[in-house]
Amino acid sequence: MIVPFTHLLVLASILFSLGLICVLVWRSNIIMLLIGIEIMLNAAMLLFVAGSNHWGMADGQVFALMIMAMTSAEVSLALAMVVYLHRRKRTVNVDEFSELKD
Amino acid sequence: MKTALELIILLPFLGAIVNILLGRALPRRMVELTACAVVWGSFIAALSAAVSYSTPTVVYAGSWLSSFNLSAPFSLYIDPLSLSLCLMITFVCGLIHLYSIGYMADDPCYVRFFALLNLFVGAMLVLVLAENLPLLYLGWEGVGFCSYALIGFWYKEAKNATAGRKAFIVTRIGDVGLAIAIVWMFQHFGTLSITQLNQSGLQAPTEVVTAMGFLLLLGAMGKSAQAPLMVWLPDAMAGPTPVSAQIHAATMVTAGVYLLMRMFPLIGHSPDVAAAIAVTGAFTAFYGATCALVERDLKRILAFSTISQIGYMTLAVGCGAITAATFHLIVHAFFKALLFLAAGCVITAMHHEQDIFRMGGLRRTLPATFWPFLAGALCLAGIPPTGGFFSKDGILAAAWEQGGMLYSTLYAVGLITAFLTAIYSFRMMFIVFGDRLSSKEEHHPAVTNVPAIMTFMLIPLAILGLIGGLLNIPANLGNGLLDSFLAALNAEGSHLKSITELALQGTASLVALGGVFTAWLRYGGKRRQECISRAEQEPSPLVGFLRAGWYFDRLYRFLFIRPFEWLSAILWERVDEGVIDDNLDRMATLLGRTGQLLGGLGNGRVSAYLLSMAAGAALIIAWFAWVMP
Repeated sequence: MIVPFTHLLVLASILFSLGLICVLVWRSNIIMLLIGIEIMLNAAMLLFVAGSNHWGMADGQVFALMIMAMTSAEVSLALAMVVYLHRRKRTVNVDEFSELKD
Repeated sequence: MKTALELIILLPFLGAIVNILLGRALPRRMVELTACAVVWGSFIAALSAAVSYSTPTVVYAGSWLSSFNLSAPFSLYIDPLSLSLCLMITFVCGLIHLYSIGYMADDPCYVRFFALLNLFVGAMLVLVLAENLPLLYLGWEGVGFCSYALIGFWYKEAKNATAGRKAFIVTRIGDVGLAIAIVWMFQHFGTLSITQLNQSGLQAPTEVVTAMGFLLLLGAMGKSAQAPLMVWLPDAMAGPTPVSAQIHAATMVTAGVYLLMRMFPLIGHSPDVAAAIAVTGAFTAFYGATCALVERDLKRILAFSTISQIGYMTLAVGCGAITAATFHLIVHAFFKALLFLAAGCVITAMHHEQDIFRMGGLRRTLPATFWPFLAGALCLAGIPPTGGFFSKDGILAAAWEQGGMLYSTLYAVGLITAFLTAIYSFRMMFIVFGDRLSSKEEHHPAVTNVPAIMTFMLIPLAILGLIGGLLNIPANLGNGLLDSFLAALNAEGSHLKSITELALQGTASLVALGGVFTAWLRYGGKRRQECISRAEQEPSPLVGFLRAGWYFDRLYRFLFIRPFEWLSAILWERVDEGVIDDNLDRMATLLGRTGQLLGGLGNGRVSAYLLSMAAGAALIIAWFAWVMP
């Protein structure tokens, strides 16, 4: 069974919007922000695979693999930073970390 | 010949360069020796050039400006005029250099002084020997710069620095005229060579030659301190006395007259220009003499007398009598250098007192200065048979010879000026050197010793001034040496009848003797004292008028300086500060405010950043969706 391309587009859009809303709204927890970013990346990855299937070219799948690799690296780094930040301020609220302003 | 000519110019420059580069490292005697030796070397080179001289020659020494059909090489032109001037300049400047050793003995800045003095001589020699106008202009500007630097030599006093600037700026007005004339001549004749220009006078319409002549006259007015650009010369007395002597006698103020003489074959084609030159000269001669009559400052009297005597030379050029002008120029160089150097001795002896009413009795205390000064005054007054008499008589005869309404008037003006000249020269003599009668003056400090080298330098100049007339004896008394030497230069070779000439000489000598007698009546003997006590009172309007130089300074202040200051005040306060600065200030404030406003957005809240980033991305996507359907 072949899923139509439009369906995939719609699904990816919904996933991306959910991730974006998660990032924008759930500001009390930095981990939720990271999860939102993951969801957006997955939406993009899905779109790459769908495009690759639709046009019959392998490039999209290669990109999907690369995004996976990059994401795993990013998550490991980001979680380490979360642990560090939590140790510094005893909180994971995004808006507490505003030293960049100064 | 070529080597000699090149050496004439190069030696003073060599001296200047050595003194500029190494002067501080050399001992004082070495610096003085270098400065004097190069000028005397230059004199010897000029002598050898004179010995081997046969015909006017152009010597090519190297290329300079050259592009397309414009060419102005370093080529030198030697003819009787430039040769006689070179001899005079190097000789008089050599004496002045030697004198400076004594005069500047206590000055710590002697290296700068001697370097500039050498440069001054070099620039003047370039001017005199130049074969083309750009090279002449180089020397012209060179003497302008050196005079500026030397008049303001003691620049730590604001007055002296201002005098230097005034000289520079006023002569600059004339230089503009000369520069325009040079460019125009090139445009019109296609050449800048003086010899070629002088032959091409008939190729141009008279109006063009007239206009060029007036531009050259403007240049000469600035350099030679002719009316109406003469205001800088009295102030130029701020410089050291040897500098004044050099400026007045040999190097600077004669440049304008020289330019007119040099270019006379061209501009002489226009009778209007010749008349204008003659009128300028006669007016300036009269102006200078009247101002010198009432002046109290010894050096300023001499400055006004220079203005007056240069006026005579200009008058002679205007009459087409180049020989007479050259003759007077050379004799004047001798006796004016003599008078200035003697005045320098007097001033040194009087502890830098320049007011003649505070001097007196110097005949007994400074005999070594008195006799040369007397010789100089006799020459200046034109008492026969001094050199000054013959040269001045030559000019008056030339004016008489021209005839006509205008030139007869100019002759009369010249004669009156000769009378005034005799009066003011001997007024100066009687007041400075006359015996003091009252005991009131006894509190003046005693005179100090003058270095021997200074008084010694006066002797050759005095002798030359007195016997200078032998250079060019009038035709009725013999044959003039200079006359036959310079014969090619004169406009026309006609000579006055012997009897007329004798009558003119008689008139001139009577007028000069009458002037001396008048001066004795007013200032001689006991009347000297009355005159000094009268000077303490408020001067009469006429005297005030003359003492202020006919209020020319005030007139120029009113006509040019005030409007200029007013305009610059507007440009400064309204335009610069009001418009440009204010607008920039406002723009800076605006940028600052905007920055603060935008800076408020950077509040450090990551969520706000994220939201704005998402909103921005949404906007960009919307834009793409809009433009690319």
